[in-house]
Amino acid sequence: MVSSERSSNRLIKQIGRRFSRRGWLLAFFALDLLIIYSISNNEKLIDAWSFVIRGIGVTVQITIWAFLFALVIGLITALGRISKNVLIYNIATFYVEIFRGLPLLVIILIFAFVVTPAIVDWIAQSPLDDLAQTIFGANPETITTTVLRTRDIDSVWRIMLAFALTYGAFMSEVFRAGIESIGHGQMEAARSLGMTYVQAMRFIVLPQAVRNVLPALANNFVFLLKDTSLASVVAVPEISQLTRQYSSNNFRYPEGLLVLSFIYANLTIVLSTIANYLEISLQAEKREG
Amino acid sequence: MDKSPIISMKNISKTFGGFVQALREVSLDVYAGEVVVIIGPSGSGKSTLLRCINHLETADTGEIWVDGIHLTHKSTDINKIRAEVGMVFQQFNLFPHKTALENVMLAQQVVRKRDRSEAERVARMQLEKVGIPEKADVYPAKLSGGQQQRVAIARALAMDPKIMLFDEPTSALDPEMIKEVLDVMLDLAKEGMTMVVVTHEMGFARAAADRVVFMDEGRKIEETTPVALFENPEHDRLKLFLSKIL
Ligand SMILES: Nc1ncnc2c1ncn2[C@@H]1O[C@H](COP(=O)(O)OP(=O)(O)O)[C@@H](O)[C@H]1O
Ligand SMILES: [Mg+2]
Repeated sequence: MVSSERSSNRLIKQIGRRFSRRGWLLAFFALDLLIIYSISNNEKLIDAWSFVIRGIGVTVQITIWAFLFALVIGLITALGRISKNVLIYNIATFYVEIFRGLPLLVIILIFAFVVTPAIVDWIAQSPLDDLAQTIFGANPETITTTVLRTRDIDSVWRIMLAFALTYGAFMSEVFRAGIESIGHGQMEAARSLGMTYVQAMRFIVLPQAVRNVLPALANNFVFLLKDTSLASVVAVPEISQLTRQYSSNNFRYPEGLLVLSFIYANLTIVLSTIANYLEISLQAEKREG
Repeated sequence: MDKSPIISMKNISKTFGGFVQALREVSLDVYAGEVVVIIGPSGSGKSTLLRCINHLETADTGEIWVDGIHLTHKSTDINKIRAEVGMVFQQFNLFPHKTALENVMLAQQVVRKRDRSEAERVARMQLEKVGIPEKADVYPAKLSGGQQQRVAIARALAMDPKIMLFDEPTSALDPEMIKEVLDVMLDLAKEGMTMVVVTHEMGFARAAADRVVFMDEGRKIEETTPVALFENPEHDRLKLFLSKIL
């Protein structure tokens, strides 16, 4: 009697574990299908969907570009944070502290309303003006008669730096932890073979460090994707902004927000699954070897 | 015969964190082809001395010449000297993301600028020499401690060093693997490699050492031949130490 109770307990636990891994994914996709079904059968939802989905390109664009910039910024900053050079270390630390200390929303506002206009003004008064206007697609006929204005700059680019620098600061800490997780013996072995510091970093330390932090980087990507919704405060036409626009026009908030949540959830679930997979395969690799 | 030593250390002192005196006024000359064994209790400065030779540690005072180059001089290109001085660590320190072969190839390509095929040829030859050519494509995690240490020796030898430094190369090994590593080192000594070896394997010292240096509390206490060392140790501290490890 006791043993059967135990085994049924174990069974429940096992089911629980299974459920937590794959079950919830299945459940999610079942729900997904249900929502797709209801969207495709409901005119209001179709309407909301076709309005909001036009922002997906902008959302993805901000996410991917900001992430790529943040990767580079984060890596360079991490190297600065472990540098023995006092100046480099302090510059890197200052940057990280500032950007981690300010709310992302505030950083976005600063970049949209202070930094970008300042840069634009500076360019407009410099010899780069014509070139900049060409790059940002001003009317070729007016280039010689006008100057670059903030509104010439695509709104996506106006806030890209805010995301890249904020996530660069977060990711520099991820990279730094990754580098510090590699024992000092690796650097010493590489140096004792005559490699320079840069060579040792490039061939020995960083490849191992980056592997170790892949899951954390993937998680940052998910957070970044969700945070791009903040761009709506400066009217960047990404999916959250379009939803607000759509719903405030016709008071269809439930429809708009359902569609919006549906889009975000699908993007993040897929990405989280990839991150999770990375983590599991990395752990398996570590166990084996 | 070349009379000037290939390694010359004069009055080396090194302090860690302002108060730990790791080395106090240590001088040591090593001539080409010599095998010098360093013994002494834990914390006596053996590793620090070895690491000063390839500049993994910087001596506070004193002067070091390696292969005629003034190491303690600011303008010296340390990486050039390091390529001539191979080092083998207690913890092997193989690169875990690279196979045994790649471990042995990498520095040849990056530092010695050998092309791929040449580096691979040398690497396979060195793996053959340390007795594990069949493990070329295996990652370090799948190798035993003894095999890892032999790959580490091959990795250092592939750079054609003039000097090999060993820091307790068998201390992290299970007893049954110690011999396979010592055998490789004995072969190397027979070939005339200049070696400075920190070890407590007295069998190796007897068989291969030209000189044995005893260190204690950062000082070089005694420097003598292995025979003299075992037969009539001079200092009480050395007697005490030998009675513990023999
Ligand atoms: N990087 C370091 N930082 C601080 N103290 C150190 C460092 N390396 C060695 N020491 C100290 O220097 C002394 C000599 O160490 P070491 O040369 O490693 O001795 P051994 O190799 O003979 O055991 C010890 O007291 C040790 O704690
Ligand atoms: Mg030591």
